[in-house]
Amino acid sequence: MSEALKFKQENLGDSVKLSLSGEVDIYTSQELKENLYNIVDTNKADLIIDCTELNYIDSTGLGIFVGALKKAKEHNKKMVITGLKDNIKKLFIITGLDKVFTIE
Amino acid sequence: METVCDRIEITLPFKADYVSLARLVASGICSRIGFDIDTIEDIKVAISEVCSKIVSVGSKTAAGYTIVYDVAESALNVKYFCDDPSIKCIFNSERDGLAIHIITALMDRVELCNESNYIVSMSKTLEVGK
Repeated sequence: MSEALKFKQENLGDSVKLSLSGEVDIYTSQELKENLYNIVDTNKADLIIDCTELNYIDSTGLGIFVGALKKAKEHNKKMVITGLKDNIKKLFIITGLDKVFTIE
Repeated sequence: METVCDRIEITLPFKADYVSLARLVASGICSRIGFDIDTIEDIKVAISEVCSKIVSVGSKTAAGYTIVYDVAESALNVKYFCDDPSIKCIFNSERDGLAIHIITALMDRVELCNESNYIVSMSKTLEVGK
């Protein structure tokens, strides 16, 4: 019943861009985790997560972002989050994650 | 809390599939009360966080949990109930830090653990001028 979560992956040479659209909640979070972790584990490039079309995220999704960042750092890769809507950026600020992630 | 005008209840199964339904109901109710779009988004997030936690805890005896939306003229009070007495104090400060941060920051009043018959209670009041 949640708005479907869609993924679009683009290879930009020195980085991989993952565009998210839809909603991340407890129903869709497992799909996000599998996709995101797979990209971090299988690509040598840095990761850009484009959230321009992401309408909703909860703590489950934020936790997955944190896990992906941890993995990226283990692989000496950078992870950047872009295009956050105001309502989602607010959650990063509330939780202090705005200081943990590179947000553009 | 001001006098309750209307009460809306929904009972949902312990399935992640239906958490978005709690957000949808909240959205309609909050819009009717007169909350602005940003506040409605905040309330939806807080309500959904509690649902997600209840679903992840689950129950061996109850078929579902009930969300009661008490609607006042300029406030919303939300309570969560479940027949399973083992579902109490479901939030753990270490494990659920992000969720607790979010819920308490977005709502005006939050009771995450109590001796009453509900699991969680929280409310949001319409700000004057909004």
